[in-house]
Amino acid sequence: MTEFESLYPFLYSGVTDVDAVLAQVTRSTTEKTEEITRLRADVLELYRDQLIECADAMAQRFTVGGRLFTFGNGGSSTDAQAVAELFSNPGPDAKPLPAAALTTDVAVLTALANDVSFDVVFARPLAANGRAGDIAVGLSTSGGSENVLRGFAEATRRGMLTIGLAGYDGGKMAEAGTIDHLFVMPSASVHRIQEAQTTTYHVLWELTQLALME
Amino acid sequence: MIGAVTGAQVDRAFARRTEPTRALGQDAEAVGRTCYDMAVRFHRGGRLLCFGNGSAAADAAHIVVEFVHPVIMGKRALPAISLANDAVAMSGIARCAGVENSFAAQLRLLAEVDDIALGISADGQCANVVRALEAARDAGLLTVALVGGDGGQIARIPRLDHVLVARSDDPRVVKEIHVTAYHVLWELVHVFFEQPGVLAPRVLG
Repeated sequence: MTEFESLYPFLYSGVTDVDAVLAQVTRSTTEKTEEITRLRADVLELYRDQLIECADAMAQRFTVGGRLFTFGNGGSSTDAQAVAELFSNPGPDAKPLPAAALTTDVAVLTALANDVSFDVVFARPLAANGRAGDIAVGLSTSGGSENVLRGFAEATRRGMLTIGLAGYDGGKMAEAGTIDHLFVMPSASVHRIQEAQTTTYHVLWELTQLALME
Repeated sequence: MIGAVTGAQVDRAFARRTEPTRALGQDAEAVGRTCYDMAVRFHRGGRLLCFGNGSAAADAAHIVVEFVHPVIMGKRALPAISLANDAVAMSGIARCAGVENSFAAQLRLLAEVDDIALGISADGQCANVVRALEAARDAGLLTVALVGGDGGQIARIPRLDHVLVARSDDPRVVKEIHVTAYHVLWELVHVFFEQPGVLAPRVLG
């Protein structure tokens, strides 16, 4: 029996009663909320000190004129945009900080993908725009996205502060040696990994704001 | 001078997520009923139209990629479009018809009666999300809203089908509850969708 079958046995048992299905999906939903709460607790225990160090490092870069560049693929591209939006447009009670997502410019993305390779779509804009003192945040649930890895390599060459969010065991991001602060969500579920990554970048933003206020 | 953040501040930041997440678990039946109605629409050939502003625009794009390109092997692609992705369309409408029409104007052109409109707003106060949900309701679409706080204006729109409220006033925490909620929406829509025996009677009715 696959994991999916064991979660939803009625799919394979001929049950067609809506209420019976609802009862099972209700239980499964509650279990998922318990799972993400446990995962967040694990992330806190693993990375409490490193979150503080990372936020201090980001605050130091911003203080001397550093800018934040973010990147990722698929769902992680939307997280990259949410990170840039959070730092640059945080609302009335927080300090706006310069940030841009590398996933939003379709002209640059398609030009590089068409003319060179999708592997360079983040490295090349970082080479063009990144300066020593800037910050690179890359997200990949698997830790194995080639274009994200190449983005980190380019950011490191330029002297940028590099921050990675990954899942599972961190994949190639854990071995790359190009990421100053790597946060690996210890889960096998892509969805729970993304949810824990969202909490992690929200908390990092909050701590960066606190560090800048002191 | 960079100040020293304390471990206690990190603990408090994480702790702020616990109760709202538990509350989502308590709303599990409402989530399940939303998924059932969405599955019925997909079963009839409907599409999912998503919209929101700022970080919620990123969520709209995220939801679309979940449905169009499922992470679990073997799950079929379901039709979904974000109305918040195109800066040319958004700024064009904003200039000519006002920001408050940026989603409703697109929706009126694109929407078909079996479609699903999914609006996201952390405080429920986004005027363009309100207008689009009203337009969707008037056109006979299934209307679903993900909001937070007290639900704002969106929670007070008459006759929306499903309004799921994340129980927090912190827009970051609201977003995290929404991410879990829409991951669950995607998964459970497939659960219902793969059980045509469940969907068929209502479809015929």
